[in-house]
Amino acid sequence: MNNLVKVENEPTWFTEKRQQALELVSKLPSPKMQRFDFRDWQLTPPTIKIIKTKLPKAENFVLMDIFEAMNEYPDLIKQYFMNKVIKFDENKLTAYHTAYLNQGILLYVPKNIVVEKPIEVELNQDSTQPFVSHILIIAEENSQFSFIQRMKTKGDGKSVANCVVEVVALPNSEVKYAAVDELGKNVTSYLSRRAFVDDNAYVDWSIGLMNEGDTVADFDTDLVGEGAHSEIKVVDITTGDQQEGVNTRVTNYGKHSIGNINQRGVIADKSKLIFNGIGHIIKGASGANAEQQNRVLMMSSDAHGDANPILLIDENDVLAGHAASVGQVDQNQLYYLMSRGLDQKTAQRLVIRGFLGDVLVSIPSKPIRQELIQTIERKLADGQNKTTDQR
Amino acid sequence: MAELEIKDLHVEVVDEETKTSKKILKGVNLSMKTGEIHAIMGPNGTGKSTLSQTIMGQKNYHVTGGDILLNGESILDMPVDQRARKGLFLAMQYPAEIQGVTNAEFLRAAINSRRAEDDKISVMDFLKELDKNLELLDMSEEMTERYLNEGFSGGEKKRNEILQLLMIKPSFALLDEIDSGLDIDALKVVSKGVNSMRGDNFGALIITHYQRLLNYITPDVVHVMMDGKIVKTGDAQLAQKLEDEGYAGLRDELGLDVNLVDE
Repeated sequence: MNNLVKVENEPTWFTEKRQQALELVSKLPSPKMQRFDFRDWQLTPPTIKIIKTKLPKAENFVLMDIFEAMNEYPDLIKQYFMNKVIKFDENKLTAYHTAYLNQGILLYVPKNIVVEKPIEVELNQDSTQPFVSHILIIAEENSQFSFIQRMKTKGDGKSVANCVVEVVALPNSEVKYAAVDELGKNVTSYLSRRAFVDDNAYVDWSIGLMNEGDTVADFDTDLVGEGAHSEIKVVDITTGDQQEGVNTRVTNYGKHSIGNINQRGVIADKSKLIFNGIGHIIKGASGANAEQQNRVLMMSSDAHGDANPILLIDENDVLAGHAASVGQVDQNQLYYLMSRGLDQKTAQRLVIRGFLGDVLVSIPSKPIRQELIQTIERKLADGQNKTTDQR
Repeated sequence: MAELEIKDLHVEVVDEETKTSKKILKGVNLSMKTGEIHAIMGPNGTGKSTLSQTIMGQKNYHVTGGDILLNGESILDMPVDQRARKGLFLAMQYPAEIQGVTNAEFLRAAINSRRAEDDKISVMDFLKELDKNLELLDMSEEMTERYLNEGFSGGEKKRNEILQLLMIKPSFALLDEIDSGLDIDALKVVSKGVNSMRGDNFGALIITHYQRLLNYITPDVVHVMMDGKIVKTGDAQLAQKLEDEGYAGLRDELGLDVNLVDE
């Protein structure tokens, strides 16, 4: 029981929470994902040491290491950390996350504060040890900001990452969250990102899932307040023999709440990608609106992909719709580009970009959009080279 | 000087639904050199577009006989991109739309595909050339930051094809119904673009249904195609004669047994 790592001055209440969670790790089941089985994955190794995070300076808001925040803002951490948005006792992996936390950040933006410049954070996962990372984002009433998270792996050791992001968007706040995940080839990861969206608050998710290793991702948005709104954009590329399962879920609780999911996945080589788009409208959420699009492009006949829209609607007065497709590269576009002299590989990459275009163009931040395009090009070029080498 | 020769070309198209193949070109002969503008006229469904798509290398068109030579070398086994880099350009009737790829980025990639790895076009040179051509075609700079053909009107797409032509500077341009759907002002702009390319290092094969376009781009040679063959070749006067007498008139004069689709 005492083999849990902790910081030197960790408050007792937090250490107790760790231990409470630890007892649940072996008792609780793993989260479930339709059509994607990861029962055999080893996702709960003990952490070795605490990792401090370098952070940019904050002016009119709080951005600090979560272990410091436990002492400086204990009330915030007690109230929100694995307690409101995601509960620590939901499943095996949330319990593991709480017990073995070894890296984290608190971002707190006070009432009425508008942060003009995007708040950017870089996470470097060290592949010699497990990475259990938490980002807690609290947007007080009427605050507005955008947050950009980049995540990379150092080294190519075999390791596990368990990364949780919780977003609390209080009434009338506006949070634009963007992430480019680039965990390494030998990293098996569980990613869970969830937002609690209060009255008339807005959360914009732009997620580039560019990991090279096996990944299970849960992206959830709880539209709790009246008029709560969220746009969820996910771009995903799988290559090699990567296995990836993505659950993107929006739950409309609030009246007139709006939640739109738009996901695009490109599957190359022998990789596997499952997109589940889950729209759940709770009874009483009258006037709610939930649309989703899940599209997958197959680059290889050895790849396996699926796009499943799942709609659960318990209220009559709503608007809901879905579109899903699994298809091949558009030959007409390919021909057009090649007729201008572009070689097949380059043309193929541009056609893929066109396929992702609908999601890419809706990403609000231009730098993130360009960065994502570059990452996509790089990942696809790597995939294409691998394919050629095999021939 | 470059030369494009089409020799006794026979082409079939496979219908995706019925899986049956249909003979479209039945022995086309045509030879042209840079410095010349040729026009191919003919009624609907006679194989004009098939000819241009076959020259470019569209996969659905199968060559069953004959040859296409560029400077004496057969291009039949070359993939589309290689034909393009050898100097062929097809201004398409229905250009593809690609979201997420800007026009400017695409143009640069197309230009650079013809250049060595250590000799890519500089941003300055590219922009200079781009500005010059935008002005010539009466296009706004904003067009180049838009996504490739995405949401473009019919006229904008045609202009964009000509912009690519001016930027890429091929030896031979195949212009497939570049006049369709254009109002008179747009037609003048498009013609101005093509005429600006005229010179010893450029040849064009203009495919058109109407004589109208040829008032603005005067051809050196006019070919008339019917039922998969070139049935008559002449000078610019031939286009005028067709305008006056129609395709049926020419058919009867030549004593051909051909059904015209729109008759």
